Amino acid sequence: MAKEKEKKVKDKINWKKEARLAPGYIIIIAWVIFTLVLLGWIVAASLSTTKEIFAGEVLKFASGIHFDNYIAAWGSGGVATFFMNSLLYSVISCVALILICAPAAYVLARYTFLGNKLIQTSFVSAMGVPITMIVLPLFCLVANMGILNDLFASKVTLIFLYIGINIPYTTIFLLTFFANLSRTYEEAAAIDGCPPTKTFWKIMFPMAQSGIVTVTIFNFINIWNEYFLSLIFANSDQLRPVAVGLYGMIQSMQYTGNWSGLFAAVVIVFLPTFILYLFLSEKIIGGVTGGIKG
Amino acid sequence: MKKNKGMIVGFLAPAVIIFLIVFLYPIVRTVIMSFFNIESVTDAFEYWEFVGIDNYTKLFKTQIFVLAMKNILKIWLIGGIIVMALSLLFGVILTSGIRGKKFFRAVIYLPNIVSAVALATMWRQYVFAPDYGLFAKFFQLIGADKLAEMQWLAPENSFKALLIAYCFGMVGYHMLIWMSGIERISPDFYEAATIDGANKLQQFRYMTLPLLKGVFKTNITMWTVTTSAFFVWSQLFSSVTANKATIVPVQYMYLQIFGAGNAVTDRNAGYAAAIGIILCLCVVLVFTICNAFIKDDDLEF
Repeated sequence: MAKEKEKKVKDKINWKKEARLAPGYIIIIAWVIFTLVLLGWIVAASLSTTKEIFAGEVLKFASGIHFDNYIAAWGSGGVATFFMNSLLYSVISCVALILICAPAAYVLARYTFLGNKLIQTSFVSAMGVPITMIVLPLFCLVANMGILNDLFASKVTLIFLYIGINIPYTTIFLLTFFANLSRTYEEAAAIDGCPPTKTFWKIMFPMAQSGIVTVTIFNFINIWNEYFLSLIFANSDQLRPVAVGLYGMIQSMQYTGNWSGLFAAVVIVFLPTFILYLFLSEKIIGGVTGGIKG
Repeated sequence: MKKNKGMIVGFLAPAVIIFLIVFLYPIVRTVIMSFFNIESVTDAFEYWEFVGIDNYTKLFKTQIFVLAMKNILKIWLIGGIIVMALSLLFGVILTSGIRGKKFFRAVIYLPNIVSAVALATMWRQYVFAPDYGLFAKFFQLIGADKLAEMQWLAPENSFKALLIAYCFGMVGYHMLIWMSGIERISPDFYEAATIDGANKLQQFRYMTLPLLKGVFKTNITMWTVTTSAFFVWSQLFSSVTANKATIVPVQYMYLQIFGAGNAVTDRNAGYAAAIGIILCLCVVLVFTICNAFIKDDDLEF
């Protein structure tokens, strides 16, 4: 009798659970389908022709698959330049950010000294500062240096700014990471006579690898998609990264009416971060909340 | 630890120096600038004219700036309610034990890694497109002719369109924050509640929600910080010269400095600085209110 009762209760809960889950499934699946249709259609449109887009026959591929949209967008559309710029900016900035922030984060996490708390608080507050608070003096500074016409100097400036605005986030992210590493490694190294600087680069830095990879993915995505600073500081097509370059292309496409080419450009722009996401989505998702909790 | 002094300084110096150049110096200068009349942003200090709080009072008398502030407030409030509700709903559904959680979570977060320019273009040129657009087709299919014929990108609707598209992109991020909060709540609590006879809805109302207070604060703060920098979407949904419906403060500020068309007539970098300060104060205000009303540690779990 008692057993039967227990079974009944279990069944009841299961039934309730399923009933409650069904609407959940419907809502989530509807949203997911919408997202996938949105992205899928853009990819399909980028492989079709402008005429087919307007006829609403994107998915039929009546005239075959048009990879030439990509070739045109990449070459004559100028996406190649933007793409290479973005790649250059993102890669250099990401590497520099790690080399600058990892040691700083380590010292902040491990040593007590005057100003440690102040630096940490400043960095955390800086993450909440709107970019509008800092952009005017920076522009003034750069413009008065008279380098806005020099291609190489402008690139260096842009990279410097990308590094600068991401320093607080990167440092704080790595700081929580180093704080969680055990101190025993350093103690062992110290007993063996390894100087602390060497201990950091040879032992602690490699041990923080997974945190470094996560924060680098975020930095890469952020810098790849960065828009406001690039809009202000990259004043010629040779300098522009993808986000600003794409904006310019959209403006001109409205006159040329080459929609399939535009969609091809859109796909090229989001492809790198998308591929990164395809392989590393778990790591990225884990990092989103990991950074906040700290 | 004294012998490590050299290492501490050496390790910290690059980060701190760049921080001082990119954050501290500009913030201080922006605050000072906001009290001056400055014709061009690159003018040297000698040419600045002290005007006190004139920049601020004038801004709030400028119709287009007030409109921009109203717009950003609407985006913050309406968009905030939509995004928080949807992201919490999705977070709760995904943590309720459904299959394919990882896949769904990954797809919902996906828009966050796509460049805002690319995402906005997708919405503008596809979802909201009048002939072949997703909305037009979809509403035709379900027979909602009025919605199917809606000109989403017309000036009178562009704000709505902007809000929908922006919210779509933001839901995934906030959902992840909710989920991390929900997953930190011990399953024992739910087990105990289930044994005590509380149904799932009651559990959500009386356990999950109160325990998520801290997470709610994080969400509001993050939402406010992102919204205060709202710019790309507005710029993509309309150039201000044609349509003022979607103008936001950052965009107005940009026009103040780099001027475009007829939206801004007198140029004053002091105004732009004041806009930056006002936005920053809004963030601080929201943060303070949140901290005052939502105490982090009054519930331990």
